[in-house]
Amino acid sequence: MKAEAGRRDGRIPLTLLGGFLGAGKSTWLRHQLHEGRFRKRHFLVNEAALTPVDNLLLGKAARVEVLAGGCACCDGLPALVAALRQICDEATTSGASGIDGVLLETSGLADPGAIAVALAADQVLARRLVMEKVVVIVDAVHGRDQLAGEPLARAQVEAADELILSKPLLAKYGDLARLAATIRVLNPTAVISAAEHGTPVSLTLGSALPFPLPVVAAMAEPIRPYRIEVGKDGGWIALSTWLSALLQSRGDDVVRVKGIVRAPAGLLLLQSVRRMVQPPEILPERDAWLSGPAPEEGMIVLIGRNLDGELLERSWRRFGA
Amino acid sequence: MCSACGFPAKPGHWTDAGASSPAERLRLRFIRLASVNRLLAPWGLKAHDDGATPGLQLFAPGGARVLVDDLESLWLEAARMAGEPIDPLSARALDHEG
Repeated sequence: MKAEAGRRDGRIPLTLLGGFLGAGKSTWLRHQLHEGRFRKRHFLVNEAALTPVDNLLLGKAARVEVLAGGCACCDGLPALVAALRQICDEATTSGASGIDGVLLETSGLADPGAIAVALAADQVLARRLVMEKVVVIVDAVHGRDQLAGEPLARAQVEAADELILSKPLLAKYGDLARLAATIRVLNPTAVISAAEHGTPVSLTLGSALPFPLPVVAAMAEPIRPYRIEVGKDGGWIALSTWLSALLQSRGDDVVRVKGIVRAPAGLLLLQSVRRMVQPPEILPERDAWLSGPAPEEGMIVLIGRNLDGELLERSWRRFGA
Repeated sequence: MCSACGFPAKPGHWTDAGASSPAERLRLRFIRLASVNRLLAPWGLKAHDDGATPGLQLFAPGGARVLVDDLESLWLEAARMAGEPIDPLSARALDHEG
């Protein structure tokens, strides 16, 4: 995936990175940066909620810009178009903006296909950008359920040029080949590979049977982000207790949790997918290493369905605060 | 495995993050117990931490006692005892007096 510096037609290459909530988009990108790829890209990180978190994982990128508060395929599209036009203008006026392309990490609620169509329809961007590739990450552990129940997960897979199965080492034996066969049915032309934390893992496809995919109810309750202010002064113990109970009882509805929380050991980056919470990472205190906006400490984002923002607030005030 | 009680304490549950010294870990254990008990109260359950046994002891109203090694196991076991999930968003949790 070598950057196409200095394209003859002068257009700026754009790579779209997609995948369902918690698939591991930032983890994959972080590893690519570690390996020296995409270093000269202008990163646009789209977050469905107003709280930027993913940019914290992209410290090695040259330029990171966060588009928070709306999916780039719908609510956030005007902001995305404006940001891309700005990048194009800079590349033209300075002639040496130091970047060799744009990488857009879409929110887990975005359909990269819809974004590609919207950008192609923009008179200015259609002339100045070239869609290089759509890379979509598919969670090897949760992918089967997501494809069975989420129209969006299917749309993401269908839009890809390249599909990467993440967390393959956590998947059950035999399921990985079946999942690969399933995504092959949805998208027969995409290149399929697997990567653990961004490191390629060999994938034996063989002649596995695809999982049967049911017809998805078109009017499923939409997935929405909810913000909860947990405070800056060490609410970690109450938060982890409350959240662990919530994930056990509502793990099917709480699809994703992200946030930055202060604990005695330092600033923790909290991330979960369904009931799986990653061991919280301790973030360095100094801000200098950061690309993009500083983290919003004491704010967590819950992304899910069948939830009520007011109930979440009430519950947090009662059991957490 | 703990050589004293044989309980297989599984290190590294995510809720244990955040404490970097043994003193903090002990402090975290006791503060957490209060939070756990606030959540269990609407279902008449109670957790106990004697500071020596690894994990938490969970008591049902009838006196049944189970030893659990982390919060994930605690909520699962408590749901089994209560006959329904310990849901912090439920009316039972939010409307409980006391």
